[in-house]
Parts: sequence; structure tokens; C-alpha cells
Amino acid sequence: MTTLDQLRDVRRSRRVRATAVTLSLTGLALGLFVVTLLVGSFRLSLGEVFGSVTHLVDDPAVDFIVRDLRLPVAVSALCVGAALGASGTIFQQLLRNPLASPDFVGVSAGASVAAVAGIVLWGTTSLVTCFLALGGAIVGSLLMYVLAWRDGISGYRFILIGIGVAATFEGITGYLLTRATVFDAREAIHWLTGTVGRADDAQQYALAASLVVLLPLAVLLQRQLRLLELGDDTARGLGGRTELAKVGLISLAVLLIALATAVAGPIAFVALVAGPLAQRLLGPAAGGILPAALVGAALLLGADLVATQLLPVALPTGVVTGALGAPYLVWLLATANREGQGG
Amino acid sequence: MTSRIRSAALVAASLALPLSACGGSSEAEPASGADAPSGPWSFTDGSGEEVTLDETPTRIIAHAGAARALMSFGIEPVAIYADESVDSDPNLRDLDLDGIEIIGEEWGKIDVEKAASLRPDLIVADWWPAEEAHSGVENGVEATSKKIAELAPMVGATQGESILALAEGYEDLAKSLGADVDDAEIAADKERFEEVRAEFEEVATSRDDLSVYAMSPYEDKVYVANPEFAPELLDFIAWGLDLKAPETPDPDFPYWETLSMENADKYQPDLILWDDRDDLDNVAELNADYGEQQPTWFSIKAAEAGAVASWPAFWLHTYGDYADQLEQLTEAIRDADGTVGD
Amino acid sequence: MGTESRRRAPLLAAGLVALLALVVALAFVSLTQGSRDIAFADAMRALLTLQAGDTMDGTVTLELRVPRTILGILVGAALGLAGAVLQGVTRNPLADPGIMGINAGAALFVVVAIAWLGITHVQGYVWFGMAGALVATVIVYTIASMGREGATPVKLALAGVAVTAGFASVTSAVMVTRTDVLDQIRFWQVGSLAGRYEPVVLGVAPFLLLGTVAALACGRTLNGLALGEDTARGLGIDVRRARWATFAVVTVLAGAATAACGPIVFVGLVIPHVARFVCGPDYRWILPYSLALGPVVLLLADVVGRLVARPGEVQVGVLLCVLGAPAFIAVVRWGRLAEL
Repeated sequence: MTTLDQLRDVRRSRRVRATAVTLSLTGLALGLFVVTLLVGSFRLSLGEVFGSVTHLVDDPAVDFIVRDLRLPVAVSALCVGAALGASGTIFQQLLRNPLASPDFVGVSAGASVAAVAGIVLWGTTSLVTCFLALGGAIVGSLLMYVLAWRDGISGYRFILIGIGVAATFEGITGYLLTRATVFDAREAIHWLTGTVGRADDAQQYALAASLVVLLPLAVLLQRQLRLLELGDDTARGLGGRTELAKVGLISLAVLLIALATAVAGPIAFVALVAGPLAQRLLGPAAGGILPAALVGAALLLGADLVATQLLPVALPTGVVTGALGAPYLVWLLATANREGQGG
Repeated sequence: MTSRIRSAALVAASLALPLSACGGSSEAEPASGADAPSGPWSFTDGSGEEVTLDETPTRIIAHAGAARALMSFGIEPVAIYADESVDSDPNLRDLDLDGIEIIGEEWGKIDVEKAASLRPDLIVADWWPAEEAHSGVENGVEATSKKIAELAPMVGATQGESILALAEGYEDLAKSLGADVDDAEIAADKERFEEVRAEFEEVATSRDDLSVYAMSPYEDKVYVANPEFAPELLDFIAWGLDLKAPETPDPDFPYWETLSMENADKYQPDLILWDDRDDLDNVAELNADYGEQQPTWFSIKAAEAGAVASWPAFWLHTYGDYADQLEQLTEAIRDADGTVGD
Repeated sequence: MGTESRRRAPLLAAGLVALLALVVALAFVSLTQGSRDIAFADAMRALLTLQAGDTMDGTVTLELRVPRTILGILVGAALGLAGAVLQGVTRNPLADPGIMGINAGAALFVVVAIAWLGITHVQGYVWFGMAGALVATVIVYTIASMGREGATPVKLALAGVAVTAGFASVTSAVMVTRTDVLDQIRFWQVGSLAGRYEPVVLGVAPFLLLGTVAALACGRTLNGLALGEDTARGLGIDVRRARWATFAVVTVLAGAATAACGPIVFVGLVIPHVARFVCGPDYRWILPYSLALGPVVLLLADVVGRLVARPGEVQVGVLLCVLGAPAFIAVVRWGRLAEL
């Protein structure tokens, strides 16, 4: 067999694995989505749920539970999880570091501080809060970019500075809460706990619509970036375009995390974990945004099921993802250190 | 208003996260205790809006306080949502909750799905004029909780100027739902309340030497209540008690004047009404404990002298409860030494 | 190093005296400022006679402000020293009890002690604070030390952040499930000096004093460790034992401080850097300077926090987070992480 043939074989087997993994992840996410529609304090059959979602059968009681209560939660968990996963993996890949996820560094914290400021200082409505969170995320990422830039962005400096920026934002959030009247503080605290299914319909539609546009765009941009990076000689001539593609991708990632944070509040660790998990499943063909988004969606749907259905007391989703994510992070660091790849 | 204020403060300051009821899903039977009259039904809500239905509702979901009021007239709801744990909510103490679903034990969180599965035809909860909302669907609660209002019409008596008005509002509501308010036992409660109230008025009016403040000592702050926003305090004033308002209520939040422990001695009443909603009928001990924890609390002479009485901050909804509390308060006022705070 | 530092010794000693004078001055401000206006003469009378004299002014001065000020001094000194010792023993400029998750570990253990073991007095849970600090130290240091190059600054900081996140998650889960004990627990969410009176001060003071004395005695050892393990061994230092002894000191200081005030971060990071900037690399000077600078920062933050948000106050933990995190960023960006 010639080298070329071998290469082709390897490529083909990678593509097969990538497709298989992506398909099964899609299946898993959809499965969890359906489970979310099925379980709850009120037992519904698959047929009833299907009939209601597809508007084939009209039963007001079932419709209320399925369409008004469960569907928004499921859609929101799906969208928020996908946005977090995609955003996290874009950050991690561009900064070449598994710790460089937007919830770990200051992007989510920036969104939070802006949202809390809106609620506490100006009594903003939910949609305005959404936009404020977006603005906060953008300001947070710009701030980190400026602070971490020194002849380029080095992964670990960026992460440590991101942690510092996040801590500053958290401090400011704490300060705002001490200045709030209790009613506003109550609302702000609720916002800060991070739970899917709290958002109103307008926010969810905004997120779902953006996801439909942004996700394919990110996949396209990433493909282009790969091409640019692969063609060594030409890419050198196209350096400007590579940078542009990178900035574009990062902007998309910031948008995604900001929207997700605006809808669900800060949810810890999903963005951090989704990318590396997808990578592990995909093996050598790693790096896809879509698989990471799917893992994110599955994770969040699962975490929400655990939070609301399995535990004796219902916890906010963020607490569950935090409790699951932190050990993973510790493990990640330990392995990286043992392999001598730590900072 | 006040009732939420401090529990809200607690939530706010603590990042307290929701606990929601997750019990088994045993279906509760419609359990209205009274013979519901059939036919069209209407009731004027606290908001002033008149709600009409073709049938008299029988499957009622009620907020804790409203549930206590309805149950005192023999109307049993199918489900209750509370703002705190069932064990600690003063509204739910000593009630037989068998067969009633608990669909919320945390402010802002209602298990609407379970609510829907019970197919309610009426939601009963206090109307808060300042927030222009019923308990449970005010601003800041989770979007899903607000959907409870889509299940059935929401009505309730208004939390505003008088607990008496609140109790009367629920009496009217219970009557419209078929309760026999003239039933001997129920009527006895009301009669007793009238007697107690008359006595309170007599004693309170005769003690014009007495200055009284309502306070909520909590951690390292003393909150002095502004009676303007507390129906039961407005009642006490209307019935002759010299209950004073703080001089400078907090500008952003005029329900209270917040005193730091350094200024705890700003007011020197002869009698302190102590907000004891978290630990009922225990004010003497609360006062002693607080004085031990906070070195300056006893700089209020009345506190040092133990001149404290229970202030049933914002949970009273029934004649019976109100009568009990008034009775205690009447005793405290009668026994109070008008020179303690001088 | 020897002659150089000997030449600078008088100057440094003078600086230290000046700093201690500043601590006294700030303590004085802390004793006389507050939401209550107390005439200077009344405050002085109470302070000098130690008699409240049955007046509110006297009680406020002696029973509210004195404990708070003493706690500010003790905790500030403890956190400054803990940071200095930690940076010395790990030879790591990012080491700080807050960043390394030690405060978070202490807070979690205290919360668990209160929620499930029914321990309500500071004399009881101070032990849990120290145990939590120890557990966190061991975990973080173990993770960071994996690999060939040992516990580098970056690895230590990252492990600390990860462990902090984990502990904080569990702490908030405890809070969620135990709303009945929330009132007592929520003290440990943000670091604050407010509402701590005599029992708290008396409960933690022995540990803080003991730890302070022990930390001050570490100077020579830390100087030895700073030269590298081999040289330290050549100087007759048992490196292993020295390392664990200094970690124990940090555990006592950070654990007791957290048990009293809740987690306060970044003080332990910033202060040793300032001290090192002033006195150079000699830990026999860095330690006393950290001891003096810690209370300066904490008292200042506490007084400012009381003044900016009247009639409420901003907790020192919040204020120091807002002020300290940029300092952390500055160290990461402009500091020379490899050196120490």
C-alpha cells in the first residue's frame, strides 16, 4: 500500500468515526431532550407528549404542561448547553489551552456584573438585562485581551489574567448586591444562581434564533481558518486573513456565551468540559465545534434532569454542573501536570 | 409587604437557593370541605377586578396565608404553595395538611407542573397593592412560577391597610365558595375576636403614657418598622395604641429605618413589639439571646427590662389567630411600665 | 546579601517602626469612626479606663469597636504572614491563602461543622477551619507538585482556582439544603469584620497569636529554602520537615482567620510583594513587614468600607476582592513569575 493510500485510509476512518460520534451525540442530546419532556411531577406518555408537541392532539391540560412548561425548559437547556459548548471549544482551540474557557476566565463574570448592575441600579426588564449581559461579556473579553496581550496571547498568562478579571467582576457584583434594596437584590440573586427554564419566551427565542445563525457561521469560519493554517506558504501571505478569521471566531464565541449567560445566568463548567469531552470521543479527528455543542447540550440537559428530578431537593442547575465540573478540572490539571504539560 | 421584606433580605444576603417540593405525586382528591353551591360565581379581587366563573370553584390552590384563612372557614385547598419550608411557615402551623399537595416551599419557586396536574379552577393569594401582583407571581420570581396564573383565575384579599380587612376579605371569599360562615364554631372565632379587639382598644386607649415601637432585630442590625406599610400596626394605631414611626425611614426602602448596632439606642420605647415570625411565641428568649449576642441591644432600656411583646409581622389572616395575638398584646400593654423608656 | 542587608538594617527598622505607628494610627481611626458620632473625649475616656461607664458611647467603643479593631489587626497580620510564608516555602509569587483555595477549604469545613455537627461556637469551629485549610493545602500542593518541574506558579494558581471552585460549589450546595441554619452560615460567604465581638476574638486570638509567633520564627528557614533545596540542605535545614512545619503555620493562620471572618482573598498575595519590594529578599525582614502591612490594609479597607456605603457598609472581603484582583493581574502581567 502506498503512503498516499494509507493516508487516505486514515482520513476515511477518521471521517467515519467523526460522523458516527456526531450522530450518536445528536441522538443522545435529542434523547435527553425527549426525557426532559417526558418526566416531571405529572406522568405523561410518549404519545401524549408527541401529540402535543406536533399539535396533532389537543388536550389543554397536556398542552399546558408540555408546551408551556416543559418545552421551554428543554429548549432552553438544549440551546444554552449548545451555545456554552461551542463557545468553550472555540476559546480553547484558539488559545490552545483546555483551561481557556469563557466561564473560567472573565467573560461570564463580565456578563453577570452587567446584568446585576442593570437589575440593581436601573431596574431593567429581562430583555434589556439580556443586552446588558451581552455588553458585559464583550467588555470583559476586550479587557482580558488588552491586559493579556504582550507580543501575542500566551495561553497561561491569558488564563491567570482571566481569573483575575473574573475575581474583580465578582467583587463588583458583591458590592452592587450590598447596595441593592432587598427586592432588587432578591431578583439579582435569582439571576446569579444559574438555572435553565427561568427565562421568558422572548429571551429563549432570541437565543434559539441566534444559535441557528451563529453556529453554522462558526463552523464555516473554523473550516476556513483550518485551510488558512494548513496551506503554510500561502497562509503566510494571508496572515491578515488568518487573524481576521480568528477575531471573527472569538467574536462569535463571545456572542454565544453572552446569550447563554443572559438566558440562564452563569452556569459553571459546561463550557470548560464540553470541548475536551468531545475531543476524547472523537479521537484524532478532534476539534469540531458541532460535537462540542452537542456535548454541551447533552451535559446541560442531563444536569438539569439530575438537578430537578433525581436529587431529593431540587438544586439550581449551576450548582450541579459546578459540583460535577470541579473534580473534572482538578483531574485535568493533575493529568496535565503529570504529563509535564502544566504551566 | 413587611413579611417578604425580611425573608427577602435573608435570601438576598445569603444567596439562598431554592428548595422546591419534590414529593410523591399522589393525586389529591378535590377536597373542599363545604358543600359548594353550583352555578355562576363571582368575586371582587383585591385588585378591584371582578372575576366571574360559570361554576363555583372547588379545586383551589392557595398561597400559605390565604390557605390558612380559607381553612379557618372550612374550605380546603387541593394544594398550597409557601414562601418557606412548611415546618417553619407560621401560616401553616397546627394545620392538618393531610391530602393537600405542597407545591412550593421557597419564594419564587412553584411547581406549576404539579399545579397543572391538579387541574385547579381557582388560585387564591393575597393581593399586594404596592407590587400590583398576587403572592407568588410578583416581579423577580421564576418565569415558570408566573405561569400558575395561566391555570385558573387568581383572586385574593388585599394586603394593605388592615389585617381586619384582610380577614373580612377572606370571609367574603369563603362565603362565596360555599363556606357556612355562620357555623357556630366559625362564628365563635369572630365573636371572640370582636371581644378581644374591644378590650384591646380599651386598654390601649387608656395607656397614653406608653410609647411603643415595632422592631425586627436581625443579625447586627435593628430594623424599626414604619407602621405606614404594616396593616396590623395600622390596626393597632387605629385602635388607640401609641405606636410610633421611625424618624428617618431608609430612603430607598421606607418600610423600615435600619439602625446599626452602634445606634441601637436611638429610640427608647416603653414596650417593644418584636418581629417573631421566625420563632413564634418565644420573644422573651429571643430578646435574652439577642442581648447576649449583641452587646448594645440592652442599651434599649425596654429590651433590658424584658418589655417585649410578640409582633405577628405579616402572617395573620384569620380572626382566630388575630384574636390570640391581640389577647397577648393586650396583656403586655396592660402590664407595661410606662416609665421604662424615659 | 549579608552585608547589604546589614547596612540597610537601621533604615528598615525605622521603616518598620513607622509602619507599626501607622497600624496604631489606623486602629485609632477604626476605634473612633463609625455610624455613631462619639465625642473624642468620651471614646478616649472609655479606652483609657476600659470602663464603659454605663454609657452607650462607652459600650459602643469598648464592646463593638475594640473587638472589631483587634480582629482586623490580628487577621490582617495573619493573612499577610500566611501569604509571605506561603510564597517563601513554595518559592512562588502567586501563592496566597485565598488563591490557593485554603480559605475556601476552611470556609467549607466551618459550614459543614455548623450545618451538620451543630457546632455554633467559634471555639469549636475554629478547629474545623484549620482542618479545612490543611486539607485544601495538601490537595492543591499535591496537584501542583505533580510533574517534573514541581509546583510552578501557574500550576499552583490553577490548582488553587480549581479547588476553590469545587469547595465553593459544595459550600453553596450545603447552603441550599440547609436553609434552617443559613443565618449562621452566611457569615462565611464574604469576608467581613462586622458583627464579630468579644467571643469570636477570644476564640481565635490564641491561634492567631501562636501562628504569628511561629511564622516570625520561620525567617531563617525561608531564607534557606529560597536558595534552593540543595543549598538549604547544605545549611543544615531539614527541607522536608521545614516545608511541613511552615505549611502547618499557614494552616493555623489562614484557618483561624477564615473561621473568624470568612474568606478574605488577595491580602496574602499583595502584602508580601510590597514587603519584598521594600526590604529585598531577606525573609527576616519580609515577615515583620508583612506582619505590619497586613493590618494596615485590612483596617484601611474596613474603615473605607464603613464610610463609602453609609448607613450600610461594604464588607472588607468584597472591597479587597475589587482592589486585590487587579494587583493579582499586575503580578501576572508585569511580575517576573519565574523568580523567587
